[in-house]
Amino acid sequence: MERRQIYVVAALLFTLIGRISSLSVTVNDVECVYEYVLYEGDTVSGNFVVVDHDIFWSSDHPGIDLTVTSPLDNVVHTVKGTSGDKFEFKAPRSGMYKFCFHNPYSTPETVSFYIHVGHIPNEHDLAKDEHLNPINVKIAELREALESVTAEQKYLKARDARHRRTNESTRKRVIGYTVGEYILLAIVSILQVVYIRRLFSKSVAYNRV
Amino acid sequence: MGMRANVRRELVLQLLLTLWIWGTVRVSEGIWLNLPASGTKCVSEELHTNVVVLADYVVVSEDNSRLPTISIKVTSPYGNNLHQKENVTHGQFAFTTQEAGNYLACFWVGGDNQGGGDVSVNLDWKTGIAAKDWESVARKEKIEGVELELRKLEGAVEAIHENLLYLKSREAELRTVSETTNTRVAWFSIMSLGLCIVVSVLQLWYLKSFFRKKKLI
Repeated sequence: MERRQIYVVAALLFTLIGRISSLSVTVNDVECVYEYVLYEGDTVSGNFVVVDHDIFWSSDHPGIDLTVTSPLDNVVHTVKGTSGDKFEFKAPRSGMYKFCFHNPYSTPETVSFYIHVGHIPNEHDLAKDEHLNPINVKIAELREALESVTAEQKYLKARDARHRRTNESTRKRVIGYTVGEYILLAIVSILQVVYIRRLFSKSVAYNRV
Repeated sequence: MGMRANVRRELVLQLLLTLWIWGTVRVSEGIWLNLPASGTKCVSEELHTNVVVLADYVVVSEDNSRLPTISIKVTSPYGNNLHQKENVTHGQFAFTTQEAGNYLACFWVGGDNQGGGDVSVNLDWKTGIAAKDWESVARKEKIEGVELELRKLEGAVEAIHENLLYLKSREAELRTVSETTNTRVAWFSIMSLGLCIVVSVLQLWYLKSFFRKKKLI
């Protein structure tokens, strides 16, 4: 009975491992998100995609920058000027990490990001806790592998959202600009005819032409 | 001898339990946001229908005596108010999505904020498989330890499969929109060319008849 209770508590302990956050935030100038890393040596992985950029007038938007700062205020990872990327690094120490997105332009952008902190118990943890056996290490490795697949899927989903917005914008533009073009063509040709008629009207000097 | 082993086991159990409680209370899951003293900060996620969302938010500050309060508002893509609280320090909400779209959770600092500094909020936002209550599954099916972990992995694999099918259907929708836009561009351009020719022919015909009437030709 006691052993079962201990297993339940050990299983509950495992719930601490591997935190997931997947959200979108609107970046006006700088937006920072903080994530806590429990153990030193944990792998922090994630991705971000600029989903909603209203600047459709040029196809090469410079994108946004990401800066990851460790609890000791030194920069652990930077990515500059992209519209979406994946990142992965090993946390040099435990503590609060700061993920900052910087938007160099004045139009606000929506960034969809996903951060995952993964911990695999190593030999040191195995030696410390007698209830952890090598199968827990294998299970943790398997869980991290599945998390990486989930991270890829979230990245694909965010990229698909961006593509969908571009598609919608193209569709609206095709319809809007075509109808506008037809109306403009009709108006311009009617105005041309009216103008030429006026040139030959009796009120204006008739013999000038 | 048996008593001492029992006492030792109890002690280990207590230790593990306190460790877990300390772990969850001291370090909550989720991300931290820094709310400015004035203005709203919003986070959003795009979800499809029938997704379970479970979220927890807590105001964090160094000295626990004077916790600043925040207000929160959660809206669905069609504008329905799913959760709204004013001047609280912590709370949680859960819902199942009825509409597909962007779900928005907005925070702003409530009236009770001494010092006017930034307020730190921890938001633990879980959707889908991460929001599943594994403790009740463990209790109901009486599984624990390694078997529970394997059951969680199985749940994760099923979630991956569902996500893949969802991505596939999204790609199919995207493809149909792309293809209709493609055919529309072709037809509208040809029509525009035809319209141009028709309009110029009409103009010439009208002007010819006009000049004939005015006896200029």
